[in-house]
Amino acid sequence: MLTYGLRRLLWTPVLLLIISFFVFILGTYGPGDPVEVRLGNNYTPELAERLRDRLGLNDPFFVQYGRFLGNALRGDLGESLTFRGRDVITLIGPKLLTSAQLNIAGSIVAFGFGVPLGFYAAKRQGTWIDPTLVLGALVIFALPVFFTGPFAILIFAVGLDWVPVSGWGGLFDYRVILPALTTGLPGIAVFVRLMRASTLDVLGQEYIQTARSKGLRALVVNYRHVARNALLPIVTVLGFTIAGLFGGSLITELIFGIPGIGRLALESVFSRDYPVIMALTLLGATSLVIANLIIDIIYTVIDPRIRLQ
Amino acid sequence: MPPAPAAWRVQIPPVFVAAKLKQIDHREIRITKMRKYVTPIIAAIFLVALAACTAGQPEPDTQKPAPIATATALPTRAAKPEIAPSLQGTPTTVAEAQSGEATMGGVFTRNWADPPTLDPHLVTDTTSAGVVVEIFSGLVSLNQDLEIVPELAESWSISGGGTVYEFTLRKDLKFSNGEPVTTEDFRWSLERAAHPDTESPVAEIYLGDILGINEIIKGRGDVTSAEGIEVIDERTLRLTIDGPKAYFLAKLTYPTAYVLDRENVESGGDTWTDNAAGTGPFFLEEYRIGQRMVLARNENYWGRKAYLDNVVMNLAGGVSMSMYENDEIDITGVGLADVNRVQDPSEELNKDLIRVPPQFSVSYIGFNVNEPPFDDRNFRRALNFAVDKETIAEHVYSGLVRPAYGIIPPGFPGFSEEIDGIHFNVETAKNMLAESKYADPETRPRITVTIPGTGGLPGRDVQVVKDMWSEHLGVEIEIQQVEWATYLQDLNRSRLQAWGGLGWEADYPDPQDFIDILFYSESPGNHGAYGNDDVDRLVEQARTEQDVIRRVQLYNEAEQLILDDAAWLPMWFDTEGLALIKPWVHNYAFTPIITPKLKNVYIQK
Repeated sequence: MLTYGLRRLLWTPVLLLIISFFVFILGTYGPGDPVEVRLGNNYTPELAERLRDRLGLNDPFFVQYGRFLGNALRGDLGESLTFRGRDVITLIGPKLLTSAQLNIAGSIVAFGFGVPLGFYAAKRQGTWIDPTLVLGALVIFALPVFFTGPFAILIFAVGLDWVPVSGWGGLFDYRVILPALTTGLPGIAVFVRLMRASTLDVLGQEYIQTARSKGLRALVVNYRHVARNALLPIVTVLGFTIAGLFGGSLITELIFGIPGIGRLALESVFSRDYPVIMALTLLGATSLVIANLIIDIIYTVIDPRIRLQ
Repeated sequence: MPPAPAAWRVQIPPVFVAAKLKQIDHREIRITKMRKYVTPIIAAIFLVALAACTAGQPEPDTQKPAPIATATALPTRAAKPEIAPSLQGTPTTVAEAQSGEATMGGVFTRNWADPPTLDPHLVTDTTSAGVVVEIFSGLVSLNQDLEIVPELAESWSISGGGTVYEFTLRKDLKFSNGEPVTTEDFRWSLERAAHPDTESPVAEIYLGDILGINEIIKGRGDVTSAEGIEVIDERTLRLTIDGPKAYFLAKLTYPTAYVLDRENVESGGDTWTDNAAGTGPFFLEEYRIGQRMVLARNENYWGRKAYLDNVVMNLAGGVSMSMYENDEIDITGVGLADVNRVQDPSEELNKDLIRVPPQFSVSYIGFNVNEPPFDDRNFRRALNFAVDKETIAEHVYSGLVRPAYGIIPPGFPGFSEEIDGIHFNVETAKNMLAESKYADPETRPRITVTIPGTGGLPGRDVQVVKDMWSEHLGVEIEIQQVEWATYLQDLNRSRLQAWGGLGWEADYPDPQDFIDILFYSESPGNHGAYGNDDVDRLVEQARTEQDVIRRVQLYNEAEQLILDDAAWLPMWFDTEGLALIKPWVHNYAFTPIITPKLKNVYIQK
């Protein structure tokens, strides 16, 4: 398994190289020009040319790409074209951490509410509780963040005045509550349905009947046998959240005034801030690769019948 | 002036404010109107979404034209040959003409957006200018009534027939870091602003009148000094300009002419503004991109110190209106979703309501006269005659916009009631179309109107215009939406056949800023390739005309010709906006042009 993991990891740079190449092509040959966005209507051809020269945008494609690769290998992802003199890593670093904290908080909400509710729904199959919970999950899933966010603000911040409308103090600050609920809400629905399905699956297994017929107490059966086994597929789903950990939740960030990566990512695309776009693309690709790897490994741990080759 | 993106605020990041165009979208207005047609619940969803979309942007007054204004009354010893016409009236609103004594201390909190730059010499947009004018300053400045007042210069004299300005600096001036300010700093700063390595997009506009500055700008970095800037002694600076231009002093109020500390700039590299030493009433205490910006009182300021200890600008966004209601910020603009609520006298918020003066701007649909069918004057006129702006203003925008039948906005220098553009008339429209080369729909080229944005739906005005053209003339168009960077590139290269969603905002109160920049055949701002020899002749004449009245007449004549040629379809002038400000904030001035204002603000709870 170790060699498998290593082999997968060694492929990552190759994958990143291919991705960076295509992103670079899109940036170079796609419409729009960072210099013109910066100059707007103060655009004069001379000044634009000068700026392009200084930013190295006039060099041939492979010269630009080579320079990017060379710098990237040395850990230098370049300077932002929009924020003069700011290097990309210090620009995006703190914002990535902020978004990651928000995503963790959201996942805790999703997992913390979704799993018990799903388990409960499965145990109550055949009563009115099960369809109500499933339907509720569907409704919640259908609510867009730009609705739930402001709605939560109106109720809990403006109306009840329990928490402030906006602001950010990290994962352990009380201001994280509303944004975490907002980002976590659709996740609750996902976990309710997953946990319900997997619990029902486990409940039908013979070893559960065996456990019951042994005369084990309901509590022991439920938690040691049913819940633990039902959780296994859920864990693999959690792995995917790693991939999205550093992704920004644009709308949540905007609504709650959270200085995360979402808005910067969007702005960098609109302003053609190539170094920032490249850095974020590569980061996204890397986390996806690593998340996939982790999920694969978890599978083998859960079910040794799956062999990694 | 800088383009202040109107709505679409999520889509259009603050960097786009850096362009001079103003991107216009009446989506907010459209949504208020929509409530009449959709069920309340759906409307509520839209409204909260809208509230989210307008989050984190500068308040409405920051979307106003940036500095550079000429004054209604120039200070004593001001220039004699007055070329620039003056503002008509003083369009400033002050939040509560104060009662009682101002108190020191307190924090003023507001939403803002990341400024594209804090380097005064690079400023072209209102988001940057709104901060820069509080941290830095120059020889002269604009007060809240938009009059030019002495700032670091305590006095000046004008000689040489209006071409030589001799400024005397105040005694013991200091930068916020304690370093003394001398005339040598001014010389270095002006030359630095012009130097090609500084890459200032506006040095030529604001400093180009000074002799020798253009040589520095055009040089390849080898020319570093201008003969028009002379240091006479430590407190006397002489500037010589290339002609008697009364608006020169007004240009010096713009950040391009501000003084910087050479040592501070040169030691700080590209990010010198993080620890900038300025001469304004505040200094930058903290700046975290996308998070917050904190200004603190500059104890080395030459005049009365600012009352506020700090100004905190939240850069991370948030629902502005809710933040205001929850006392998290002290000032907010009012989106159309909340217009009715705040205007209701029984509503608590109504007490905080302030009317924000309109900015000097015009929105329009532009035509590229090189591209058929817009190369035909009659065809363009037909399109103008076929649009009923009164109806659109009344029924689509609930009277919230003012139809434009001219180019220059009301109240702006050079605005004339006499100017009359094309009014709605279906008969004339049809006749014009019949006389044009493109009367036959079979052979008429396809028409595409391009608008900026990524939201999918075009502004309602463009849609209604499309319908009116179709209904009254049988002229069909396609509306194409492209994202801002692409739009700008095509616009700058005159690749758009026709375009909407744009406006033009004044940079400085002079009709030249509209007529010359937008319609002179050689102007880079003339995106529709409009050319009329008579207009060119009038504009050239106006540039050097010494008589104010005659000069305005020349611009008026040109404006009428442009309207008769139907170079554009002018759509709307700006109307006043609404803002809320907390009762404990005193002396906050809303101006249609950015001026230093936070120095006067005080908090009294």
